[in-house]
Amino acid sequence: MDHSLFSKPRDLFLDIVNPRDYVQIDSVSHMYQNLKASVQKPLKMILLYGKPGTGKSMLLHKLHHDLSKHQKVFMIDIPIIDEGDFLRVLAQKIYGYVNREAITLTDFLELSTAVNYPQSPIVLLDEAQLYSALLMEKIRLISDARALKFVITLHKTEDEDIIAKEHFQTRIWESIELQNASCEELKIYIQKKLLKANCFDVANMFNEKNIKLISKLTKGNYRETNKLLFSLFSLYTWYEKNTPSKIKYNALKPKYIEMAGIQTGLLRD
Amino acid sequence: MIDIHLLERRWIKYKIKRLIPYVVAILGIGAGLITLLYSVNQNDVTPPPPIKQEIPLVKITPKPDIAEEVIAIVPPPTLQQPRAVAAPIAVARPTPAETSVAWKPKALPSPKENIPVPLSIPKNTPLVAVSATFSTPVVVPPNSQNKPISIKQNSTTFDIHEIEDRFKNNSNPHLGLYIARYHYDNGNYSEAYNYALKTNAINNTLEESWLIFAKSLVKLGRTEQAKKTLQLYISQSNSEGAKSLLNNLTKEDEK
Ligand SMILES: Nc1ncnc2c1ncn2[C@@H]1O[C@H](COP(=O)(O)OP(=O)(O)OP(=O)(O)O)[C@@H](O)[C@H]1O
Ligand SMILES: [Mg+2]
Repeated sequence: MDHSLFSKPRDLFLDIVNPRDYVQIDSVSHMYQNLKASVQKPLKMILLYGKPGTGKSMLLHKLHHDLSKHQKVFMIDIPIIDEGDFLRVLAQKIYGYVNREAITLTDFLELSTAVNYPQSPIVLLDEAQLYSALLMEKIRLISDARALKFVITLHKTEDEDIIAKEHFQTRIWESIELQNASCEELKIYIQKKLLKANCFDVANMFNEKNIKLISKLTKGNYRETNKLLFSLFSLYTWYEKNTPSKIKYNALKPKYIEMAGIQTGLLRD
Repeated sequence: MIDIHLLERRWIKYKIKRLIPYVVAILGIGAGLITLLYSVNQNDVTPPPPIKQEIPLVKITPKPDIAEEVIAIVPPPTLQQPRAVAAPIAVARPTPAETSVAWKPKALPSPKENIPVPLSIPKNTPLVAVSATFSTPVVVPPNSQNKPISIKQNSTTFDIHEIEDRFKNNSNPHLGLYIARYHYDNGNYSEAYNYALKTNAINNTLEESWLIFAKSLVKLGRTEQAKKTLQLYISQSNSEGAKSLLNNLTKEDEK
C-alpha cells in the first residue's frame, strides 16, 4: 500500500465500467434521458452505437442499474453467441424456465405468452457486433412479438459502418450515437471523477492548457483519457517517491503528460 | 514497473523531432530572405524594365508556401523526419482489439484488451450471473439512489454548488479550501473569504487557506485586518508564505 498523493487518482482511471462511477456530462445525460424514455416505448429496438471508448458499455450498465429497481432487466455483457444457448439463458433468467438443452424460438415465444409481466422485460446486450446475423434476426422477431424489449450496443469502427448494415436500417431501430467528449466535456469528466473521490489537490492541478493537451492527445475519447491519466499518475507516483523536488503542485507538467502520451502510444517518439 | 529514464529519453527524442520542422523552416526563411536581398541588390545595379522583374518577387513572398518549398529543396533525409512527426497520432490510434471486424463471431470477446495494466477484476462490475437475478440485492450508494439523473443540472458550467453542498455535509477542510480557492480565482472575494474562514475553523493549519483568507481581505479593502491575521498566523506557524505576503503588504503601504 503506498500513500502517495497520486496513487488514488491513478487507480480512478483504471478502465473499469461500474455504474457507480458514472459521471454526469450534459450531452451524455441528455442521451441517457432519451434512452430511458425510448425504453418505455413499445416495439422499438434501441441501438447505442459509437466508436470504441465512447461510453456505450457505461451507459448500458447505468441503465441496468437504474431500471432494475422497478422492472425486470437482464444484461448480457459478454455475448452468448450460440443461438440455442442464448434462448435457453434468456428463458431461464426471465421466465424462470430451467432447461439443460437448447430451446427453439417457437418454444421461447410460447413461454413468453405464458408468463405475464406488467411491463415487458428489458434485455440489454453489450457488444452486439459479435452476434450472428441469424441470431440478430431472431432477436428482432422476439421484439416484434413484444415478448422482450432489447437495447443493444455496437462498435462503430472507422472502416466499416455497421449502421449501414441492413439489420439496423429497418424502422424498428431507434439509434443513439455516442461520441467523443469535447474539450469542455473532458474537463468536466476529469474534474468530476477526481472530486467524487475527494482528490481535490490533484483536481486543482489541471489547468486549461493541460486539459487542451490531454484533449488533443486523446481526441476526447474516454478510454484513451483513462489510459493517459493512469499512466500520468503512475509517473507522478514514481517522481513523488524518487525525486519529489521535481514535482510542482500548482499545475501538471506538459512534459509528464507527453511522456504519458508516449508510454500509452498516443504520441510517437 | 515503468522505466522512467528510458521514457525520459524517448521524450527528449520526441521533442527534438518536433523541433526539426521549425529549424528547417527558419533556415528556409533565412535562405529565402538572403536570395531575396541578393536579387533586389542585383536589380539595383542593372536598371531593368520594371514589370518583368516583379514577377519572381511575387512568387517568393507568400509566407506559408515558403517553408514548404524550402523543405522540398532540402535533401531527402531531413525531409522525411518532419513528415513522420506530422502524423503520429493517426498511426498510433486503432489497436487491433478495436478494429476487429464486425459480425465475425469471436469465441470470447475481450473488449478491454487494451487496458494498460493488469487489473484485478473490479469488485463491483456486474457479472452476468449476478446481475441476472431480479432478487439480487443491489447495494446502492445513497448518492446515486437519491439523485437519479437530472438533465437540468448544469454540469457544463462547473457546478461549485454541488461541492458547496457536500462541504456543508461533510465539513472536509480540503473541500473548503478547494471552494475558497475556486471563488478567489473567480474574483468572488467575499465568498472566498467566507469559505477560507470556515476552513480555518475546521483546520487551522492549512497555510493556503490562511493566505486566501488574507488575500481576500486585501481585495475587499481590509488590508489592516489582513495584516493582523497574517501576524497571528505567523506567530503560530512560522509560515514563509504568510511572511512574504505580509512583507509585500507592508511594502505597498510604504509606497
Ligand atoms: N459518463 C461516464 N462516466 C464515467 N466514466 C465513463 C463515462 N463514459 C465513459 N466512461 C469510462 O470510459 C471508459 C470507456 O467507456 P466504455 O467501456 O463504456 O466504452 P465503449 O463505448 O463501450 O467501448 P467499446 O466499444 O470498446 O466497448 C470506461 O472505463 C468508463 O469507465
Ligand atoms: Mg463496451
